[in-house]
Amino acid sequence: MSGESNLQRWRALKNQIALVMSGAAALFGLFWLAWILWTTFSRGIGAINWDLFTQMTPPPNEVGGLANAFVGSAIMCLMAIGIGAPIGIAAGTYLAEYANFRKIGSTIRFVNDILLSAPSIVLGLFVYTLVVATTGQFSAIAGSIALAFIVLPVVVRTTDDMLRLVPSQMREAALSLGVPQWKVTVQILYRGALGGIVTGVLLALARISGETAPLLFTAFSSQYWSLDITQPMANVPVVVFQYAASPYESWQALAWAGAFVLTMFVLLLGIVARLILLRNRIAHE
Amino acid sequence: MSEIRLAVMPTAGTAGSGEAVVNKLVARKLGFHYGDTQALRDVSIDIPERRVTALIGPSGCGKSTLLRVFNRIYAIYPKQVASGEAMLDGENILGPKYPLSRLRSKVGMVFQKPVPFPMSIYENVAYAIRHHESLPRAQMDERVEEALQQAALWTEVKDKLKRSALGLSGGQQQRLCIARAIALRPEVLLLDEPTSALDPIATGRIEQLVADLKARYTIVIVTHNMQQAARCSDFTGFMYLGELIEHGATDKMFTNPGKQQTEDYITGRFG
Repeated sequence: MSGESNLQRWRALKNQIALVMSGAAALFGLFWLAWILWTTFSRGIGAINWDLFTQMTPPPNEVGGLANAFVGSAIMCLMAIGIGAPIGIAAGTYLAEYANFRKIGSTIRFVNDILLSAPSIVLGLFVYTLVVATTGQFSAIAGSIALAFIVLPVVVRTTDDMLRLVPSQMREAALSLGVPQWKVTVQILYRGALGGIVTGVLLALARISGETAPLLFTAFSSQYWSLDITQPMANVPVVVFQYAASPYESWQALAWAGAFVLTMFVLLLGIVARLILLRNRIAHE
Repeated sequence: MSEIRLAVMPTAGTAGSGEAVVNKLVARKLGFHYGDTQALRDVSIDIPERRVTALIGPSGCGKSTLLRVFNRIYAIYPKQVASGEAMLDGENILGPKYPLSRLRSKVGMVFQKPVPFPMSIYENVAYAIRHHESLPRAQMDERVEEALQQAALWTEVKDKLKRSALGLSGGQQQRLCIARAIALRPEVLLLDEPTSALDPIATGRIEQLVADLKARYTIVIVTHNMQQAARCSDFTGFMYLGELIEHGATDKMFTNPGKQQTEDYITGRFG
């Protein structure tokens, strides 16, 4: 009897130790995150003003904003989504619906996972040799292609996962009505997986909006207002990178402001993505 | 094919009630493999037209597999292969020339778990009709109503046709799935344990529905519930380890089975 209670006490103690250690680990991670957020917020919030969104990037020690960088980032991110998302959704659909039981499916999944974790600077260099070196100049289109390579594996993975989450009975029920597979996929399975697929695209957007390395070698940056996608284009991450490393205080302030806006944008996307997933899950239950 | 309403023809409950019985589905030496595993061996069975045939047997005996051969739904999965013959009105449906779309519009299927499509109640029923026929709006409305009437769901949903089908109760969802299948005016209805996920009241409604529907459709029902097989079928097939052990009129199967194994199973000595 006493042996049993000793054993139980020992187990309870071990439980306590594990609980404290895992709690401490979680707090450790959160501490740095909170610090980063707080620094970005406290340094960035002061530089938020109307000029930030209306003025061009200024020469050192002059008043200006990041308007061209925001617009440039928006253009390149949307083009990257425009290139990467349709291909990713199509590829994810192929994996989940056509290659699921085949060896080629697991091979492609494996390769896609490698691409998913490929360092973004490698993708930047790849597009540099592929596009910049051949066309002879930095351009927004090259930047978009580099970002699209980051979008692609994320969207492939989420589309594949979300479609495979749709119960196979749904497929069988729809196919047993004599409707061909492509119609079933587009008209029924996409509806079931829509929330998840949209979330995947939003997460990909959040991921690329802060990417610096792939743009350094491709879109580079620009001091000027430009909508020409064959020319170098300003963008928030590279401008933040350049300004933060500069000795000029006005530039450093702009870098903080840019970092702050970027962080808020990513946070907002994350929340929206969560809400969509949550609503979707409730609808499924 | 006009004016099909809730046609509750009180047909005689048992087989051999006067009119000659035509065999709608016929299987001859049917075999089935899931990869290397053999799930059916040498199954030969006649499924008579406008009768209810129940398939019973312990889990894994192949009764669902047999059902899935009759509209070739197994063909979605590359490693599943059927051999032998399965005939619908004398034509071999396993032959490569038999079009899947035609087969599946003639042979409808309802699954164990109700799976409404993520769309409105109306769209759930109209969806497949739209693929097979192009009907003007008014006629489509009629077809949807007719199917929901036949599935005994109309009165419960007629005021909320535009609402999502996911909001229906389990029993209603299953009747919706039946409505969806009969909206195509199939000739055969395959029911794969249609009530195993439902409560007794919903089960009773589905069984009543099966009794009503057999005036019009050939029905094959797989069930784990022997009372259910006894209550609502005219013929019963007992399967064990991938073989059809015995097949005959339900009355006889449950009162005086020809084989010892059947008797053991029915009396609860195994399975």
